[in-house]
Amino acid sequence: MSEIASNKALESAKKDQGIKGHMSESREKLSLFLNNRLGMFGLMLVVLFFVSAIFAPYFATHDPFLMNIPQRMSGPTLEHWAGTDQLGRDTYSRVIYGGRVALKVAAIGVSISLFVGLLLGMLAGYGPRWLDNFLLLIFDSIRSFPTIVLALAAVALLGPSLELVLAVVIVTSIPGYARLARTSTLALKNTEFILAERSLGAHPAIIMWRHIMPNVIGPLLILAAMDVPVVVTIEAGLSFLGLGVLPPTASWGTILNEGYLVIRDTPWPIIAGGIPLVLTTLGFTFLGEALRDVFDPRLRKGK
Amino acid sequence: MDTKNLLEIRNLNVDFKTPRGRVHALREVSFNAPKGKIVGIVGESGSGKSTVIWAMTQLLAGNGVVEGGEIYFNGKNVLDFSEDELRAFRGEEASIVFQDPMTSQIPVLSYSQQMSDIAYRQRNKSFREKIEHSKQIMRKVGIPDTEQRVYQYPHQFSGGMRQRAGIAMALLMNPLMLIGDEPTTALDVTMEAQIIHLLRSLQEELKSTVMIVSHNLGLIAELCDEVVVMYAGEVVEQGGIRQIFHNAKHPYTQALLECDPARVSNRARFLPTIPGDLPDLHIRPNGCVFAPRCKYALQRCEQDRPETYVIEGTHNTKCHLLDSSRDQFGTSSTIERQVSKTETYDSSLKNIIDFEKPPILNVENLNVRFEIMGPLQALLRRNRKRFVDAVLDVSLHLRQGETLGLVGESGSGKTTLGRAILGLVPSSRGSVEFDGRLLTDLSESVLRNLRQDMAMMFQDPIGSLSPRKTVGALIAEPFSLHRKDKKNLEEEARKLCDMVNLPHSFLNRYPHELSGGQARRVGVARALALEPKLIIADEPTAGLDVSVQGEVLNLMRDLQARRKLSYLIVTHNLPVIRHICDRLAIMYLGRIVEQGNGEMIFQKPAHPYTEALVHGVPQPDPDKRRNLVSIEGEVPSLTNRPSGCEFHNRCKYVQEKCKTLMPQEKVLPDGRTVQCHFPLIN
Repeated sequence: MSEIASNKALESAKKDQGIKGHMSESREKLSLFLNNRLGMFGLMLVVLFFVSAIFAPYFATHDPFLMNIPQRMSGPTLEHWAGTDQLGRDTYSRVIYGGRVALKVAAIGVSISLFVGLLLGMLAGYGPRWLDNFLLLIFDSIRSFPTIVLALAAVALLGPSLELVLAVVIVTSIPGYARLARTSTLALKNTEFILAERSLGAHPAIIMWRHIMPNVIGPLLILAAMDVPVVVTIEAGLSFLGLGVLPPTASWGTILNEGYLVIRDTPWPIIAGGIPLVLTTLGFTFLGEALRDVFDPRLRKGK
Repeated sequence: MDTKNLLEIRNLNVDFKTPRGRVHALREVSFNAPKGKIVGIVGESGSGKSTVIWAMTQLLAGNGVVEGGEIYFNGKNVLDFSEDELRAFRGEEASIVFQDPMTSQIPVLSYSQQMSDIAYRQRNKSFREKIEHSKQIMRKVGIPDTEQRVYQYPHQFSGGMRQRAGIAMALLMNPLMLIGDEPTTALDVTMEAQIIHLLRSLQEELKSTVMIVSHNLGLIAELCDEVVVMYAGEVVEQGGIRQIFHNAKHPYTQALLECDPARVSNRARFLPTIPGDLPDLHIRPNGCVFAPRCKYALQRCEQDRPETYVIEGTHNTKCHLLDSSRDQFGTSSTIERQVSKTETYDSSLKNIIDFEKPPILNVENLNVRFEIMGPLQALLRRNRKRFVDAVLDVSLHLRQGETLGLVGESGSGKTTLGRAILGLVPSSRGSVEFDGRLLTDLSESVLRNLRQDMAMMFQDPIGSLSPRKTVGALIAEPFSLHRKDKKNLEEEARKLCDMVNLPHSFLNRYPHELSGGQARRVGVARALALEPKLIIADEPTAGLDVSVQGEVLNLMRDLQARRKLSYLIVTHNLPVIRHICDRLAIMYLGRIVEQGNGEMIFQKPAHPYTEALVHGVPQPDPDKRRNLVSIEGEVPSLTNRPSGCEFHNRCKYVQEKCKTLMPQEKVLPDGRTVQCHFPLIN
């Protein structure tokens, strides 16, 4: 209750601040974010992930496909920073190029599922009741399959490929976004400002796009940031099982898979393939949590 | 410290730390609460009246700091208390009744549990003893069947009963001081009267000290012995209730009293307002804090801080005008000011109702029915009703240029009716004819196009604006929705800003950066953008301060006269509606029980319910206190309508016939219609 007192004082103080008030609010958020050390650490890792994947040729020391059988399964040397694998390929360069696969799956998978999830979620929330029930039924059916089992079934039918991994990732993560978007939409649906838009004669599509979407997207973006590591591990996991990216393409999952086969001879491929996976996961998780703290005022109060 | 005062606040200063610096929320606040008296703190939003309570109970928000001053309660300085002492102090020596019982009571605990938790420090008492004590207190505040009701949860109580339970919880530890923070603001007029009555009789019985914080002058006048008037974090005037209400000295107090629509006894075309805005409290004012809005401000008022001038006994005020060495009123040193907006309204512009043309809006036997459970559920729970009738057989008409007021308590279906007329809520039966077209037959897409001609203003001024859009985008939106050419949107937005007296600098702001009155003006601009013929306004003054209410209503009247608008105003606020409505329709449980000329209804209500509403409004005059509660009980649930006349169980004049036979609509000689077997006038 004591909040009311300060809010009132704040409100009265806010008058005649104009756009300044708004600017300082976003500045406040920025400074909150900058002061979050774990968040900044996460951001650094995420940036490193993006830069190394996009500019892989500049980061790699060798051609990731170049075999050098005499020097197979060596430990870290000046020539090969993370050793070589069972075919004598440079593990460090393969890890860097593997980041490209991870980035591709993460970026494409998360953005498509975010977009489709947002759209379907808003439709379910704002549309007629039968559509809501129908969409919910579909979401729940998808959710009831474990991702890996669904992927296994799809691979068994269609054969392993990166595109299939992507498709599985997208289909299984849409319900998460859609449910979140639907809940927020339902809460907004009966607010006065939506009713006010209707009374002005706005088309439902305009209401959804211009007035519901901006209020729903925030939590979804945070969910997306926290979803990236999940998607990356799904890809790695499927590739590890030999169901995703096919050799000789380098991906963190295939590196782990191949390293696993030769683990008695050299531990280096496993270590080199595991570390980026851990760092990316940590980076996105920290970043997502920092973003959530900044944007969700309820979590900020206690501090 | 004087022993006859229970509370003495001396030079209290409170700051709030914000990202943009400190807000000086309270500055040099001093006042006393004498033992056994009811003290009212009155002020508009932002005046710091609630902050005083939070500072006193040490419950300020995390960013609030007490920057000096003393709060003596019963001889001890509260600010020196340790955490343990504070816990003993709160609830046991001073306890609070909150504004909204819905949010201040714990929904998952029964009252028996909540009340025994409050008594947690009485270790020697058993749970059973605590419950017995709780029942006693609940009986005292007028809750029936306490044996069962004490074990119920807040959601099982109706609004008025819940507030009574809130008072019971506050009284549980027999506190020395009972603090009411807007105790009736969330309640209907008829409930408000009952709570005022209860508080007064409890105070007489217990001889305790009560402090009431409210913006409602009527409530203060009905209840209090002493009044403290606050403005922008300072006490501007204090004194006995009659001294303040009959002999106010500070220009702010005078203006505030003048603004209260209940006090304006004759029907006025334009209501008085206080022009200007609250000062920015980030900066400590140099002179008098009210000077920028004061009609009488002198040069000196803007430079020197006024001292406290004692007028008589406890009546004192902070105003330079009362300095005996000052120049007289109206001397040349008065600062020239822009003429206030009220005066710029052209009062010669008379509103003319067009009786020649057929009514612009014609509603015949409209019904709105909500489904509360699906067919399957209804089959399983056979004894329950599947539908709720929110609006029942409502007929009304509205001519061009006319204003019709739709009045009723919460749950009377007035808002639903307004929305159903516009087709925002589907109607189940009956017809709505607007401008010669039958709306109830039209498809949604045709209706969308027709919405240019009929607009709606919503209850919550800020909440009805899309939060992520700028004011400019919001104002221009009607054009971008309905016009083919999307050029000059900005220019149109600027024109509309001028129309509603909103500075252009506001176009870049977001809704949460506006005050209630400013947001309301944005709402008016949006409603009027496409020059509609009909405007349905849902509680246009809700959430606004008295000084701003008038401004919004004056603007609406002015625009009506210029554009021949028709208004349907939905409200529970009778004093306000009196000044702007030509005709009134009183709603009860979804039916219109009385309809006719507004002034006649006010002078001589025909339906007992109307009478109760008209007399239920507390008058801002301590000499006009009511001794009787005009209406007992609460609005029945819509799922359980009373038999016969639906008002019979609350009616003072009830007779046998009323209990069984539903009254037909009668037309009285003066043209009013009323649904009552025994109208109060013949």
